[in-house]
Amino acid sequence: MNPWEESLREALRRKAAPEGFADRVLDRIRELPVREKRPWFRAFIARPALRWAAAVLCLAVVVSVAYRGQQERQRRQGEIARMQVKQALRIASVKLNAARRMVQQVNQGTAQNRL
Amino acid sequence: MTTPTLDRCEEALGRLARGDMSAFEEIVKEHQSMVFSIAYHYLHDRSLADDAAQDVFLRLYQNLASIVSSKHLVFWLRKVACQRAVDMARRLPKAPPVSLEDINEPATESADADPLLSEGLRRMVASLPKDARAVVILRYQEELELAEIARILDIPLNTVKSRLERSLGILREKLQRWSGGVAR
Repeated sequence: MNPWEESLREALRRKAAPEGFADRVLDRIRELPVREKRPWFRAFIARPALRWAAAVLCLAVVVSVAYRGQQERQRRQGEIARMQVKQALRIASVKLNAARRMVQQVNQGTAQNRL
Repeated sequence: MTTPTLDRCEEALGRLARGDMSAFEEIVKEHQSMVFSIAYHYLHDRSLADDAAQDVFLRLYQNLASIVSSKHLVFWLRKVACQRAVDMARRLPKAPPVSLEDINEPATESADADPLLSEGLRRMVASLPKDARAVVILRYQEELELAEIARILDIPLNTVKSRLERSLGILREKLQRWSGGVAR
């Protein structure tokens, strides 16, 4: 700091507050209308850091719920597809059995005719 | 701000959180000089500065829940003191430019090394453009780093630097004219 800036620092040195300053502040506080006690969460969200934390937490919960919902939907769709495949296999199996029986009957009939 | 002062404030904040109102009085007494001086150097009017400083502590009382530590308290008080002084200055009728010949001998005895020069500088600071005044006060009254000033005034660091340079240029020029006048 050069001498000139030193003079500026000297000129802007802190001044003592006027006599009775604190008392006047406290008097004005006593004159303030009594506020209703705020619910605990108001004091909580009044802090900027906590407000941000709450916002991030809410976002995380929303994303998590949406993700879980999406997974649940996919699981259900998979389950339905699995049931449909099983049903299709069951039907195919019945049809194949019927066809196999018919082929056997035709084969037996041909053999008897030859004899 | 010294560590014992911060410790005392921390302890007072703790007591205040437990509902001890005498702790608030201690906080006011601890910081009244800082808040009053910011307002006084900005407005150059003791009565207006008194009102502005009282408003700052009233706002502090209403926002105690948002104060998390003694360091945060000091930061908050400096920030709100600057804001309040700017608001008050905005409502004042535009002051005529300071004529350095108007600077009289200080009426009261002062602890300043050169009371006439100090009073002249204070008036010159109070006549700086409003946006630059707070930067000079925080730099030379509170002796803050430029980055801290940028945080308090919520402006970019480069803006702080340019405002400070501009203000110092204006002050230097006015002071040269003044000292030239005194010498004549």
